[in-house]
Amino acid sequence: MDITLFTTPKEAPLFSYSNQKISNVLQAAIDMQSNNQPQNSHTSTSRSSDSGELPSASGKWASRLLKECARAISDKDSGKIHHLLWMLNELASPYGDCDQKLASYFLQALFCKAMGSGQRCFKTLNAVAEKSHSFDSARKLILKFQEVSPWMTFGHVASNGAILEALEGDTKLHIIDISNTLCTQWPTLLEALATRNDETPHLKLTVVVTASTVRSVMKEIGQRMEKFARLMGVPFEFNVISGLNNLGELTKEGLGVQEDEAIAVNCIGALRRVEVEERGAVIRMFQSLKPRVVTIVEEEADLSSSRDDFVKCFEECLRFYTLYFEMLEESFVPTSNDRLMLERECSRSIVRVLACDDENSTEGECEKRERGSQWSERLKEAFSPVGFSDDCVDDVKALLKRYRAGWALVLRAQGDHHESGIYLTWKEEPVVWASAWKP
Amino acid sequence: MLEKMAEEAHPNILIDESTIRPGSNPPVAKKKRNLPGTPDPEAEVIALSPKTLMATNRFLCEICGKGFQRDQNLQLHRRGHNLPWKLKQRTSKEPRKRVYVCPEKACVHHHPSRALGDLTGIKKHFCRKHGEKKWKCEKCSKRYAVQSDWKAHSKTCGTREYKCDCGTVFSRRDSFVTHRAFCDALAEETARVKAVSNMNTSVVGNINCHFMGTPQGNSIPQNFPSIFKPISSSEDTMINPTTRGLSLWIGHGSQGQETMVNNNLQGIHQLGPLCSGETFADPLVSCSNMSPSDYHQNWVFGTKLSSSNAEELTSTSLPLIDVKEAGTQLLSIPSLYETQHQSNQTPSANMSATALLQKAAQIGSTSTDPPFLGSFRFKCNNDSRVQDGNKLCGPYGSNSILSNLGKDAEKTAGDLFQIHPAKRRHAENEDGAGGETRDFLGVGTVQPICHPSSFNGWI
Repeated sequence: MDITLFTTPKEAPLFSYSNQKISNVLQAAIDMQSNNQPQNSHTSTSRSSDSGELPSASGKWASRLLKECARAISDKDSGKIHHLLWMLNELASPYGDCDQKLASYFLQALFCKAMGSGQRCFKTLNAVAEKSHSFDSARKLILKFQEVSPWMTFGHVASNGAILEALEGDTKLHIIDISNTLCTQWPTLLEALATRNDETPHLKLTVVVTASTVRSVMKEIGQRMEKFARLMGVPFEFNVISGLNNLGELTKEGLGVQEDEAIAVNCIGALRRVEVEERGAVIRMFQSLKPRVVTIVEEEADLSSSRDDFVKCFEECLRFYTLYFEMLEESFVPTSNDRLMLERECSRSIVRVLACDDENSTEGECEKRERGSQWSERLKEAFSPVGFSDDCVDDVKALLKRYRAGWALVLRAQGDHHESGIYLTWKEEPVVWASAWKP
Repeated sequence: MLEKMAEEAHPNILIDESTIRPGSNPPVAKKKRNLPGTPDPEAEVIALSPKTLMATNRFLCEICGKGFQRDQNLQLHRRGHNLPWKLKQRTSKEPRKRVYVCPEKACVHHHPSRALGDLTGIKKHFCRKHGEKKWKCEKCSKRYAVQSDWKAHSKTCGTREYKCDCGTVFSRRDSFVTHRAFCDALAEETARVKAVSNMNTSVVGNINCHFMGTPQGNSIPQNFPSIFKPISSSEDTMINPTTRGLSLWIGHGSQGQETMVNNNLQGIHQLGPLCSGETFADPLVSCSNMSPSDYHQNWVFGTKLSSSNAEELTSTSLPLIDVKEAGTQLLSIPSLYETQHQSNQTPSANMSATALLQKAAQIGSTSTDPPFLGSFRFKCNNDSRVQDGNKLCGPYGSNSILSNLGKDAEKTAGDLFQIHPAKRRHAENEDGAGGETRDFLGVGTVQPICHPSSFNGWI
């Protein structure tokens, strides 16, 4: 691989950053497409290129360039790769508009893929993230995100509703929370338990943490939760399990599951972190815990079935993150630092999915998402779906009303109502899937 | 339960709690309304079927057969028929009072003894309890069977604002709840609550407050006795080895504590040179029962004894005594020491009592070699009585003081003060509130813990 990948080719004129620049660069891209040679002069012809779609400079250039580059990498066309990476580098910026941001983060992944340095890059990103994580920053970020967008709270409300209904009447509850949500799901559940008319049950919460950045703050989180439960008057016990290499290693004993407890397994955004081949085993492990209800919430993207096809995987990844970034842009104020942090969090995931091989997989960082229908296929082997009750659906709808326009709840009614879970849609695109299962 | 059901039927009626008794007869003197669910025994019991109950037009005009929902409306209508005067009147007989039972068999109000007196009431009750909730709030998805309930709720829904202790206001209950769980104000609140409960019972806390408020600006001669150094190597919040000694009675937990600990130690350091005894006289001169030798023991606490602060300390030393008696001046005490008041000092000071003890217990249990006590013990000719586990308050507290500070303290406190039976005796003489509010410092009950000469090692 040409190591001078990012040196500006000598022939390139110096562009001042502007729309002109973008269109110049795009022009160059198109020329390259048609002539198969890098040309950086902007006097070249072929306006009538094959694509015929030279957009205005503010069009979706990032998506095209990125896809082009992905194809080039897949084809191992080093000249093209070189050129495209250079162009992306010129245009990308994590501080710009959506296109520029996407270009920036995906460029990083593409570069790593081309250079084969994905694993190293991922490790570095992780280390940096861990260092900069503190309880205060993590808390502030996640709470702010939940305030401006229902991305996370959708799953929380749906799951809480399902859990409360399934465990109605039990006095000893044990919720196994496999997620990295910093326990933001539980205050409302505690409140609901406290305000029930009948006896307030005893709640044991065992949190299984899979993200290394979250581990360090769990102690503080635990203390807060205990205090809050005391305030609410709910008898409460809190445990954290971390440092697992593999979710499949969990056992009943390891989790502290007791015979007289009513178990609920709550899995938010955690199944996707399990290696694809091990997902079945994890689901069987859930089954072995004999839970009353299993709530699964995952983001709607298919990055696993296409994992052998780089271009397809890339395109799907790009589609998903385009939605996500656009959503972030519209939910936060333009100058928000929190949004920047959230975008940065994505970079690790993107690099992991696109540039890291499965063989060198580290613990719990797989990030290969699957669609709700795919998860359903897996889960159906051990569980049967239970629909969300009308009350629960209404609660979710009421939740969505409290946010900006654009969000909706969709029930994919395939035959049975509510069968395959509910979807959160943003601008009519399904983005998050929530479901409940029983043995 | 009675009240609850009655309330549901007649939410507008103020329930006279004192007279509601299950199955009792209401006072007949009451004319207007009977107590809900306790009908007039003379009343005629009407049992309507659900269909009839929910029927809208129960009152029929005998002239034209028109139906009305309410009796009053029917009467108004009848006037329009221009009835002759005689017929206008209703039947002269006072209609028998009617009470209604709920058609639902499983309901409490199904039984005539628990009938409800108002038709509208029974209708609402039936709907609320046994009916389908057809009315739903748009904003929060709460459901109601009775339209009026729904309307009433809709008016207030979403207008309610939730305010957290930290000052943030929320319009959504769920975000309020979630915020609250993680808010720092919560942490402080529980600490404050704890501290307040300790404050009034223990002077020790007060004294410790003094501790907390060490003036920060002082330069500290680092001649702090080595005794205080390696109390507990496992203590992780102590950043300065010399601070560990104080960890016995300095609170744990908040990060603010660490600086305070440092400050405190600085104060203590200051006292080092004072142990010779000259400046002791100053602040404590106004204390009753203080003898010069007492100061030796008090020096640890008396950052006030620092020469540079002698004046302020003198003037403010009185609160020490007052505090002992009043026990409520906790908050003002830190000002003794604080040249710069840190915002985190006061709340932390408030946590001092229990926190201190807990910390001390922790340290006691984790440290295998308690040089502080050990050496102290050694220096104080008192090696046999101190048990290793009891590192609570050093040699200064009295048994009874510590027992106020916490349950864990209690077990260990007693042993600690075997060191100085003399002191304990003395402390027992001193009368706090039933022997409970001993002055930790022994102010007022000032006793030398050891013979001054035993302080050789670190004076």
